[in-house]
Amino acid sequence: MSEVKEAAVSQLPVKEKKVSIVDTFLKGCAKGFKVGIENITPAMILGYVLVYILKETGLMDLLGTVMAPVMGLFGLPGEAFAVLISAFFAKASGCATAASMYESGVLTLGQASMMLPACILMGTLIGHYARIVLVTDSNKKWHPLLIVVCLFDAALSLVIMRIILMTMGVM
Amino acid sequence: MASSEKSVEQKEKIGIGAWIALVVLILVLSGAFRTVDGPLKVLDFTNLSGAFGKIGDTGANLIGTGGTGAKDGFMAGFNLIPAVMFFCGLLGVFEQLGAFRASDVLFRPLLRPLLGIPGKCGIAFISSFTGSDVAAVMTKELYEAGDITDDERTIFVAYQYAGSACINNTITGGAPLVAICPVALGPCIVIMFVCKVVGANIVRLLLKLKGKKAV
Repeated sequence: MSEVKEAAVSQLPVKEKKVSIVDTFLKGCAKGFKVGIENITPAMILGYVLVYILKETGLMDLLGTVMAPVMGLFGLPGEAFAVLISAFFAKASGCATAASMYESGVLTLGQASMMLPACILMGTLIGHYARIVLVTDSNKKWHPLLIVVCLFDAALSLVIMRIILMTMGVM
Repeated sequence: MASSEKSVEQKEKIGIGAWIALVVLILVLSGAFRTVDGPLKVLDFTNLSGAFGKIGDTGANLIGTGGTGAKDGFMAGFNLIPAVMFFCGLLGVFEQLGAFRASDVLFRPLLRPLLGIPGKCGIAFISSFTGSDVAAVMTKELYEAGDITDDERTIFVAYQYAGSACINNTITGGAPLVAICPVALGPCIVIMFVCKVVGANIVRLLLKLKGKKAV
């Protein structure tokens, strides 16, 4: 049957005019610019304004005191909880919050850096619940477990990053 | 070699160029050459991204120091754009050179031991590094076609959900921390990958225990 052959051929687009590597690179860069303007910069503005509000209203100190015991388990000050909260809603704003806290001296370089994988792993969980968990149509019975697992992954990454940064002498 | 007769999925051949591209991509992201002296330092993403020049003898670049609020946030975002643009360009080039296809071949046999899901999930697995939507749709299709069971789908989703497209998200969303993190981008991604696999295996274990109970 020629069906198999056809399927194989369809994988290889019929000698499309070859896009040059340079074009691909330039197109990629342009895409990156769009991401930078449409996603990253807005998230940075959100993160920086959030930190400004937390600091000026004294909420940062309150958060620091209340969350200190929990965050202390990971070698982080209580204020770092704000990073995880904002990451939960959007990875980018979590990372921006951490970077801003490093800039303003709330977190050390090691503390801010160790939160990078955690911000990604437990980041944008609501948005991706729709885009991944619901789209895959996975068994509803396990949906709460899937969310818990993301939080677990993030906690695990904090421990791993802390060990690595400590051996690098950054913590 | 478990199945040299795997004629169905034999599609395009992975040339030597694709493998070289994959190795170079891993090296560039690994940070291995970040601090070397000499020409090899160009094989590092951070070095290639470069740095803004300093303004006069102030020691500060155009972002300045001591800013606050939205304006400082804007400058911080602006600061990240060149590296993100460069990365997106780089990723496109490596994709065209076949690095992703090569990694598919590399990972395919590992999926069963690593996550307890069949090798057929290979393309969805690889694409989930750089985009969450295609992988999610493919996972649904794999289930509907009977290629994976309901439990396998749950395990696979547990893997995909955490961090979603972890490479792209780290470059874009994680950019503010990538810019300062002493651990290079590649190792950070490996750490996330390990955590994702551990998490998925917890789900795998729980589903297995549940399965035993049910019998």
